[in-house]
Amino acid sequence: MARNITMIDAITEAMAQEMERDERVFVMGEDIGLSGGVFKATQGLYDKFGEERVLDTPLAEGNIIASAIGASMVGLRPIAEIQFADFITPAMESLVQQASKIRYRSAGGYGCSLTVRICCGGGTGGGLYHSQENASWFVHEPGLKVVMPSTPYDAKGLLLAAIRDPNPVLYFEHKKLYRTAKGDVPEGDYTVPIGKAETRRQGRNMTVVTYGYMTSLCLEAAEKMAKNGIEAEVIDLRTLSPIDKETVLESVRRTNKCLIVHEDKRTLGIGGEISAIVAEEAFEDLDGPIVRITGPDIPAIPFAPPLEHAWMVNTDKIVAGMEKLAAY
Amino acid sequence: MAAKSGRGVAELETERSENGRKSENNGRELMLGLYRMLVKCRMCDEKARILFRQGKFAGNFYSGVGQEAAEVGAAYSLREDDWIAPSHRDWTANIIKGAPLNLCFAQLFGKATSPDRGKSTPAHMGYPPIHTITPASSIAGQLAVGTGVAFGLKKLGRDTVVVSFFGDGATSLGGFHEALNFAGVHRLPIIYVCQNNLWAESVPLRLQTALKDLSERAKAYGFPGIPVDGNDVMAVYDTAVKAIARARAGDGPTFIECKTYRWYGHSEIDPAKYRMKEEVDAWKKRDPLVLFEKVLRDKKLLNDESKDKIAKEITQEINEAVEFAEQSPYPDASELADHIWAPQE
Repeated sequence: MARNITMIDAITEAMAQEMERDERVFVMGEDIGLSGGVFKATQGLYDKFGEERVLDTPLAEGNIIASAIGASMVGLRPIAEIQFADFITPAMESLVQQASKIRYRSAGGYGCSLTVRICCGGGTGGGLYHSQENASWFVHEPGLKVVMPSTPYDAKGLLLAAIRDPNPVLYFEHKKLYRTAKGDVPEGDYTVPIGKAETRRQGRNMTVVTYGYMTSLCLEAAEKMAKNGIEAEVIDLRTLSPIDKETVLESVRRTNKCLIVHEDKRTLGIGGEISAIVAEEAFEDLDGPIVRITGPDIPAIPFAPPLEHAWMVNTDKIVAGMEKLAAY
Repeated sequence: MAAKSGRGVAELETERSENGRKSENNGRELMLGLYRMLVKCRMCDEKARILFRQGKFAGNFYSGVGQEAAEVGAAYSLREDDWIAPSHRDWTANIIKGAPLNLCFAQLFGKATSPDRGKSTPAHMGYPPIHTITPASSIAGQLAVGTGVAFGLKKLGRDTVVVSFFGDGATSLGGFHEALNFAGVHRLPIIYVCQNNLWAESVPLRLQTALKDLSERAKAYGFPGIPVDGNDVMAVYDTAVKAIARARAGDGPTFIECKTYRWYGHSEIDPAKYRMKEEVDAWKKRDPLVLFEKVLRDKKLLNDESKDKIAKEITQEINEAVEFAEQSPYPDASELADHIWAPQE
C-alpha cells in the first residue's frame, strides 16, 4: 500500500528495508549513526542494526569512499554517505581514480558495487559550502553511474536500484526536497530503473529537459505557459549517467524545440551535453535554438539572501526561457 | 659535502647491531625458499629492465632491484587467501604471491594474456585469483583501498590479512593518514610495509619528513611501528610473520619500515643523477642477495653448484615466460570498451 510521505522518509525506508533484506548492506559516513545524520536520513538505523552496520566514520571523505570500495571488493554492499556535496572533493581520488576504474583496469577481475549518497543543492541559505550541486563532475567519468531523484517514489526506487547495482552509483539527493517533496510511496519492494528518464508532463510545443529540484519548478512554469496556450513537455532525467538519450530525442523530434534547465553552473554542465546530443542527432528537427536556463558561472552560491536568490534558477527565469523559445 | 640522502649505511649497521635482531626461523627449507625467491625476483626484474631497453615493451618499468629482501620478507609467509595491495614498484609481489611467470611477463608486454588484458601499464599488475589488487598509479591510492579490503575482511569475520606495499613517498599524502588512522580505530587486519628507499623519485627523505624513522608515524595511529633493516630478508621475514600473526588474531595493524635502497632510477627513463655515486655504491655493497647468500654459505646450505642450479632453473622459467609473452597476441581493438560496467546480476 502506498502512503504519502516525504523524500527523506522514502530514503530512510529504502535503506532500512534493504538492510533487512540483504545482510551484506551496511551504511557508513559522518554523523550517521548516533545522531541519525545531519538531515536525519539514517534516523533509527543505528538503534535497529547497531554499530556493525551503521558506522560513524572519522571526518575523512577520501577514506569513507576508499574503505567502502575495499569492502565492496570482498563482496559487501556499502552505502557511504557524503554529508554535503561540497565536501566530496577529498574523495575525488577514491571516486575517480579507484571506483570508476578498478573494473576497467583489472579487465573485470575486481568490481565495485558501491552506493554513495550525496546531499546537494542550494536555495536553503547554506552559503558557498553547503549548497553546491556538482553532479556533473562525475558524469564525465565512465564507470560511475549518477542519479538524482525528484520525487519520493523515485527516491526509494532509485536507491534500491543503486544498492543492488553491481557498479558504483552516486546517488545525489537535493536537500531542499527532503521535506518539501511529498508523494505516494509503496510500502513494499520496488526499483526504479537506472538509465531511464520519466516524462512528467506531456506537451506538444517544446521539450524541457531537467532533473532534481528543478523538475517541480519546470512543472510550475509549464502550467503558467499553458494558460497562454503553450504546452511544454517536461522530462525528468532521473539518471544523469548514463543519460537516457532516446527519451529526450524522441520528445524533441515531436516538439521541435528544446529547453534545458539545471541548477548547476552553466559551462560544461549537463545542459551542454544534452545540447550537443540534440544538435548532433536531432538537428533537422529543431525549429529554434537550444535554450539553457542554468545556474550562473559564478564560483558558488553566496550566503546573503538577495545574492542567493539572484543565483538560483526560479520559475520566472524558466518561464522567460520558455517564452523566448516559444517565439520561434 | 654531506650525503644527499637522510641516512647512510653506517647508521643502519649501528642500529642493527644495537637491536641485536636474530632470526628465529632458521629452518633449512624456509631459508632456501627465501633465497630462491630473492633470486627469482632479482632475475625477473633485471630481465624486465633489459626487455624495456631493448624496446620489447613500451610505457615504463619501476625496478625494485635492491629492495627484494623487503618485498620477499614481507610477503613470503602469506596464505593463498591473503591479499596484497601493491604499488608501482611491486610487480614482483605477484611473483612472490604465486602468479605464473607467463602472466607477469605478458603484463609487461600489455598482451591479451595478461590478467588485465593489456589495460594497465607494465608494472601495475594485479591478479585476482591470488588477491593482488591491480594498482592505480596514484601514490597511496592502493594503501587506501587495501585498508578498505581489510575493513571488509574484518566485517566478514575472516582471518585473512592484507599486506600493503608502498614507498617513503606515499607517507606524505593525506590518504596515508586517513587510511592508517581508520585502520588503527578498527584494529584492521593489515600490515603496512613501507619500503623506505630514501628517495621519493628525486626528493630526498630530509625534504619529505622531519622524522628519523617513518615507522614513528604509527604511534600517532595507535599501533606498533617497527623499523627494520630492509636488506636483511630474515629480519623482514621475522618481523612480518609476527605482524601477520597479530593481524590474523584480530589485534590490529603493524607498520613495518624497511630501510632499503633502489639501485636504479625511479623508473627506466630516470638516470637518477640526483644521487651521489658514493651513496649508491655503499648500498650496493649491502646487496640483499649477497648478504643472504653469505648466511646460507656459512650454514652450509648453499654452494657454487647449488647456486648455479637455482639460477639455471629460474633462467629457463624466465625464458619460457618471455617467449609466452612475445608470442601472445595484443588485445583486439574491439576490447576497448569492455569491462567498464559489470554485467547486471
